[in-house]
Amino acid sequence: MSKEIHREIHVDEALTRKMADLARLELSDVEVVTFTSQLEHILGYFEKLQEVKVEGVDPLISPIELETPFREDRMIPSLVDSEGKPKVLQSAPDTLDNGYKVPPIL
Amino acid sequence: MFNKIREIHDAFDRKTLSSEELTHSYLSAIRSSQHNAYLTVCEEEALAQARAADLRIAKEGKVPRTTAPLLGIPLGIKDIFTIDGIRTTCASKMLDQYVPPYTATCVSRLESAGAVILGKTNMDEFAMGGSNENSAYGPVKHPTHSERVPGGSSGGSGTAVGAHLCVAALGTDTGGSIRLPASYCGIIGIKPTYGRVSRYGLVAFASSLDQAGPMTHSVEDAAILLDVMSGHDPLDSTSSFQPVTRCFEATQQQPNWSRLRIGVPKEYMIGGLAPDVESSIQASLKWFESQGAKLVPISLPHTQYSVAVYYIIAVSEASSNLARFDGVRFGTRPSHFQNDLLSFYKKVRSGFGPEVKRRIILGTFSLSAGYAEAYYQRACQVRRLIRQDFEQAFRDVDFIAGAVSPTTAFKLGEKSSDPLQMYLNDIFTIPANLAGLPAMSVPCGKDREGLPIGLHLIAPWFAEENLVGVASAFEKARG
Repeated sequence: MSKEIHREIHVDEALTRKMADLARLELSDVEVVTFTSQLEHILGYFEKLQEVKVEGVDPLISPIELETPFREDRMIPSLVDSEGKPKVLQSAPDTLDNGYKVPPIL
Repeated sequence: MFNKIREIHDAFDRKTLSSEELTHSYLSAIRSSQHNAYLTVCEEEALAQARAADLRIAKEGKVPRTTAPLLGIPLGIKDIFTIDGIRTTCASKMLDQYVPPYTATCVSRLESAGAVILGKTNMDEFAMGGSNENSAYGPVKHPTHSERVPGGSSGGSGTAVGAHLCVAALGTDTGGSIRLPASYCGIIGIKPTYGRVSRYGLVAFASSLDQAGPMTHSVEDAAILLDVMSGHDPLDSTSSFQPVTRCFEATQQQPNWSRLRIGVPKEYMIGGLAPDVESSIQASLKWFESQGAKLVPISLPHTQYSVAVYYIIAVSEASSNLARFDGVRFGTRPSHFQNDLLSFYKKVRSGFGPEVKRRIILGTFSLSAGYAEAYYQRACQVRRLIRQDFEQAFRDVDFIAGAVSPTTAFKLGEKSSDPLQMYLNDIFTIPANLAGLPAMSVPCGKDREGLPIGLHLIAPWFAEENLVGVASAFEKARG
């Protein structure tokens, strides 16, 4: 890793904690230390891309050309269990009637 | 012991074997195995499917190979594919109790072709890893060398096939996750063209890279599975309208060797290859030449950037995909929390393992304000240059050949403390995912310790028939 790279992105524990916050992840103090040095190492390696000339290159988002397929506008019933409850609810931590129940947040 | 679907169907036809007997023998092998290859075994369901297959064979007099090419064949399915009513964990504590209400399209197509589903195979958590050491349910052991990894992330499927715990298995390949374990375990693994096989029912890791494919003992079996799975699915708008593959037919014909040009990228052969791997690949190339194929030196100049491009794009897509783990629709919730949404989410998401957390954080960084242009966008631009390298190369050659991995299967724990070292191991497999190309691993020899080596073949977009045709001829000759 060159010194120049580390000057450009300074990876410290504050950055790791900030990214973990944005990603809604809880890290232990030990994880923060480990991840910070690993992130520095990995992001330093990513710096390799700065040497590629990309001016005017269109970003490639999907590897193949995609057509937009249209489906016939047809009703397909939702999946239900033997009691008529939506099957999609079967792994939910909490439900109410035929919906997901979420905790009060205000 | 049977290695091929065709041999098993012959035995069914002769009534010397039933699907129920075969299924029982695999279930018993799984029970006594120490490989940790399966996370869930579907004993009752498998036996019911096997009995139904036997009834159909009895009724029809023999196996209807055209309409049910997988009738009575026991398979292992990577635990990333949903199956209605069967626990699907993706090897993560986050989905420890998740029972999906629907079946992945490619699995339902295998079932419609008569397959028996033995169970769900172990993997790296959310398919993030190259050694299967990142499973929340413990690592998988290599089929023949218990102190070594089977490769990942489809390591459970690799070992399940290699250790005869199923006839064939399904894997997914985002950056090499089918080909790497296939190479390490000495089996066949195909990553089809992006869009060739529906992704409906795959737990998403990196949506522009993920692709499902077969892992088998023979090219012919891989062809049979791919023919069953391929084709457009209205439930996956990224699945292609290209006609269903006819790979099985291609495996029954000899390639026109004198017209074949095989590209050998200089970037795939320089340095870093273990000596036994290199000599084995060179010997394979010589064999192609001896058949009349022309070896053409080519260059894929952006290869050196592929690992960085891949890891930026894959982690960015992963951080976005894994945002769905919010404790509303699945997963577990903390029993106590203050009325604070941030701490609620953090508790809910505490079930991710270290590699998954690391990648979500990296992805969040690559997409965050101030960094997205230098990381995610630039990676997507270089991705186009990588695809253009292949477009250029395929004007002059029909295939590209090289090694799947710089080494054979490494030891458990050998690379697990250094994530970057582990990422660099994917250098040869990643470019095909970035470009969306079909590619496969075919066993081509063993190193001095008896560990399998995989030959990597990459074909142009949607040229799976040609790919398996050449691979099948190679396999038969090297038998």
